[in-house]
Formats: sequence, structure tokens, C-alpha cells
Amino acid sequence: MKSGKFWAWVVFALGAAYFFIPLIATVEFSLRMRRGAYSFDAYQIVLGDPRFQATFGYSVVAAIATIILGVLIVVPAAYWIRLRLPQLRPVVEFITLLPLVIPAIVIVFGYIRMYGSNSPLPFLASDMGTNALLVIGYAMLALPYMYRAVDTGLRTIDVRTLTEAAQILGAGWGTIIGRVILPNVLIAVLSGAFLTFAIVIGEFTMASLLNRPAFGPYLQNVGANRAYEPAALAIIAFAITWGCMSLIQILSRFAPRSANRPN
Amino acid sequence: MADPFLSIQHVRKSFGPTTVVEDFNLDVERGEFVSFLGPSGCGKTTVLRMVAGFEEPSAGKIVVGGKDITRLKPNQRNVGMVFQAYALFPNLTVAQNIGFGLKVAGMPKADIDARVAEMLGIIKLPQMADRYPYQLSGGQQQRIALARAIAPKPKLLLLDEPLSALDAKVRVSLREEIRSIQKKLGITTIFVTHDQEEALSISDRIAVMYGGKAEQVGTPFEIYNRPATKFVANFVGTLNVLEGKVTDAAAGTVQVNTQEVSLKGKLNGSKSGDTLSLALRPEAISLGRQPGRDSSLSGEISEVHFLGSVIRVRVGIGGNMVSLDTFNSPATPPPAVGERAEISFSSNDMLVLH
Repeated sequence: MKSGKFWAWVVFALGAAYFFIPLIATVEFSLRMRRGAYSFDAYQIVLGDPRFQATFGYSVVAAIATIILGVLIVVPAAYWIRLRLPQLRPVVEFITLLPLVIPAIVIVFGYIRMYGSNSPLPFLASDMGTNALLVIGYAMLALPYMYRAVDTGLRTIDVRTLTEAAQILGAGWGTIIGRVILPNVLIAVLSGAFLTFAIVIGEFTMASLLNRPAFGPYLQNVGANRAYEPAALAIIAFAITWGCMSLIQILSRFAPRSANRPN
Repeated sequence: MADPFLSIQHVRKSFGPTTVVEDFNLDVERGEFVSFLGPSGCGKTTVLRMVAGFEEPSAGKIVVGGKDITRLKPNQRNVGMVFQAYALFPNLTVAQNIGFGLKVAGMPKADIDARVAEMLGIIKLPQMADRYPYQLSGGQQQRIALARAIAPKPKLLLLDEPLSALDAKVRVSLREEIRSIQKKLGITTIFVTHDQEEALSISDRIAVMYGGKAEQVGTPFEIYNRPATKFVANFVGTLNVLEGKVTDAAAGTVQVNTQEVSLKGKLNGSKSGDTLSLALRPEAISLGRQPGRDSSLSGEISEVHFLGSVIRVRVGIGGNMVSLDTFNSPATPPPAVGERAEISFSSNDMLVLH
């Protein structure tokens, strides 16, 4: 038993080292811009760079738009499937998993062919159209995470009975989704939203091939031309992603407990 | 019944090739408390859900207060419903749950607050307004669900096995509370249950359902004492069923095992030689000959269970087994297994099942 515990700790230590050593090395390297002393110079340069502010701002706006689009599509769809079309669940789950097996580069080339300026739906003919197409693409990339998060949230409540209880009290579909279903899966929706945010902030392929001024292509550009700044940027991006994950954990503590499953 | 408040007329419901409810008819008076009683799968909940609007009848119509509501959506029917699983909204407080229907109806906040306070008073939980459902016991949650259902003053209250998820003690107290609130408010109520004791104890009338049909509709007294079919007799209460053969239809004599019983005036339509099922409630049978009991059968005691105030005795009469209860008397020891015994009863209490 004791020897088992010892090896478990060894495996854990090796895993932790594999994860933390590169991270610590990157942090250490990002602080060595000034010769002979540790400093935050690289961070100051990165955060003061107008291109950083512009691309980061662009990606944040794109992420928010993606989250709104994702919630508008996924919440009613997952709700309706649980309520009325449970036989379709395996099919929908399969469809939502497709973005994990189809590379983003394939999807974006498909977009360029389908929505070019000469196509019947010329999304790529204008900046606004291309931005919209990018958000649609991001919503699709985030679909596996958003759908699973919302579906898991819906599983914790008795969707059918709550819907019927609201209906018999006079509520229409808008009230049912807005006042009964959404508040009870809000934490799950937020989890999906933060995962979406983390994906969008670092996404490179779609933004680059659609030629959008997003944070992902900026990261790549800086990485190709500078020494210390890319390390600082990597740590900033990492902090943002982990910040999102921590928020999911914190918010999940505030999930409403189901009436049918107290505590 | 001159003017029924709720009228369910020739309602049928099929799911694909399976017919769950067949030609169901029922008229309910204003303020009446009617229970649908039957085993699982008999269609009682389906009928209730059709009245609520959650299922659309395949045929027939449902009329409430003279208005055909068959095709109306649930949120257009002004019907209150209490569910087996409570179905309180977990994200809302007790007060918000009770006020939900009123808010949806657009009632001003001050009026909602007053009505919620009134409802909390009626269900005797005035201090619970700010609690969340998970902070309440099952019985409290179901009382809140009842208050939520009746707060918007619905025309009809539907109760779908509301006591099934509760423990025995709470079930009894809550069913009495439901009945008392229903009487106080005079609200027409349909109560679905598979528990005969519940149905018998609180209903004005009971519809006993089996195989998608109402086998019998009547008062608890009628259902228990004059069951119309073999199913009703077997389902409601404990029943001893004896197989008998008509020996002389004109004289009304029936042979049970090798013994003869007189059932004059009860063998309508039977011919000599017909086989009949005869039924007796345990409380209609006495051990030994008793004054006022005109019929008797003899057999052998096969089981004796001492239950404190009551002794349950089972007597074998040929291939038939009869169960009866006698009061414990400290002066008289209970009968012993294997003894010969005579049971007596009044032929008027004997039910002939068709």
C-alpha cells in the first residue's frame, strides 16, 4: 500500500514537472530582458504596444459576440432536444463534436470558397461581413464545449416538469426560457462562455486566413520577430486562460441547488 | 347532474398504435373533489394531462365552465397543477415561486405581495417566504407547490400524485390539509392517486380506472360497498373471493366447495350450473356463529397472525382461502392453526362479481 502511494507521488511529481518546468522557464526568460537583472520590461513593452491593445480588444469583442451567438443557438437547441426530441440527442451530440475532428484550416478554406466576393452570400466582400463570418466560425469551434456545458446543466434539473409547471402558471416560451430554464443553467452557460472566451483569445488559423487583426495572429507575429516579448505574451495569454478556468470554478459554487436534489 | 363544471366527453388518447385512454367520460360539479384511482398504466395521469393541456386528446372534448378547452394551450386554460416531483423553481424563493403565476399575469407587485402572504397563511408557512426550495422538507415543498398552484385563483386544480414522494406520516397530514384547503376555497379538484386509502379518505367521488377506461364512478361508500366490476372489488380494499356454482337459480342457492349458501335476490341473470365469483370484505365475516348473520361456511384455520389489538385469521374452505380480522380479547386465547372453524356472514354483504 505504502509503495503504491510512493509511486503515485512519483508519477504526480513527474507530471507536475513536465507541466511547470517549461512554464517557470518561460516566466524566468520573460523577466530577463534587462541585462543582469530581472525586470518587467518585456511586459511593459508588450502591454504598451498599440497593436497589442488593438488586437486584444478585437479578440475580446469577437469572443463576446461568439458567446452571445453560441448561447442563442445552443441554449434553445439543447433545451428543445431534452424536452421534445430526446431521440435526436445522439445525432446532435455527433454534430457538435465535428469541429473537434475537422481541422479549422479545412473549415476556413471551405468558408473562403463558399462565401467569397463572387458567391451568393459574399461575407468576405466587406470587413463587417468577414468579422461576422469569423464570429460564426468561432461559435462553431466552441460548439463542442458550449453544447456539453449547457447539456450537463440541463441534466441537473427536471426540464420537463419545470417547463410544465411554468406553462400551467400561464408562462409562454420566452418566460420559461428566460425566467426558469436559463437561470437554473446559468453557471453551466457561464462555464461554456469562459471556455469559448479562452478558445477565441488564442485562435490563430481562422483569424489569420481571414486576415483579421486578432490576438492570435499578433502573438505569432511577435513570436517570429522578437526574443523576450513572446515569452511575456505567452504568460499573459496563459494567465487569461487560467483566469477563465478559475472563474468557472468560483461560479460553480453559486449554482442553484435543485429542489429535487437538495444539497 | 344539471350543469357540470368540468365535462370530459368521449375522450380517447393513443400514442402510435397503443390506446392509453378509451372513451373516457366524466362530469364533475363545481367545487367537487374527484379522485382518479387505478394501478400504474391505467391512464389516470394521461386523462389529467389532457385536462391540463399537456396532451392533446385523439378524440373527444373537454369542457370547463361551458367553454371547450380541448385545443387550448396549457397557459391559456387557467388551471392549477401540483406535480408529484414538487417542480418548484430552484432559482426562486418561496415567495417568488408562489407569485410566479401572478407576475406572469401582470398583477401589480403590491397585490402579488398581498396574495403571496395570504397563501403562506393558508398553508401555514408564513415564515418561509425568503427560503429557497432546497432549504425545505418534502412536505413543505409540496405545500408551497399547492400554494403556487392556487395563488392565481384557477378554475380547476389538478393534483398529480402529489403525496407519492412523501413519507407515510406527512402523507396523511398533508392529504387532510389539501382537502381542508380545497373545501375552504371551494375549488373544483381532480386528484390522481394509486393509493386507495388516500382516494377513499378525501374524495367526494372516485373514478376507478383500469385499461384506459373508468370502471366505476361513485362515492367512496359506493365504490367500497357496491363495486360494479370484479376489478373494482379486487382493487379497492381487501376482498375474499370465493368460487361458487349456482345450484338453483330460482331459489338463489350457490354451492361453495361442498357447502350451500343462500343468496336470494342476488343472482340476477344467472342460470343453474353457472360458475360465480362471490366476494366478502374481511370486516363482514365473523369467526363462529353470530346473531344477525344468516349464512355460514366451515373450514380449517390455516394461519393466525397476532397483531396486537387485532388477530388476523385465514380459514381454508376447500380451495378457497378467507381472511378475517377479530378483536383481541385477553379472556379468550386466539384460535389455533389446524382447528376446524365456522365463519358466519350476512348474505346481504356477499357481492356477486360479474
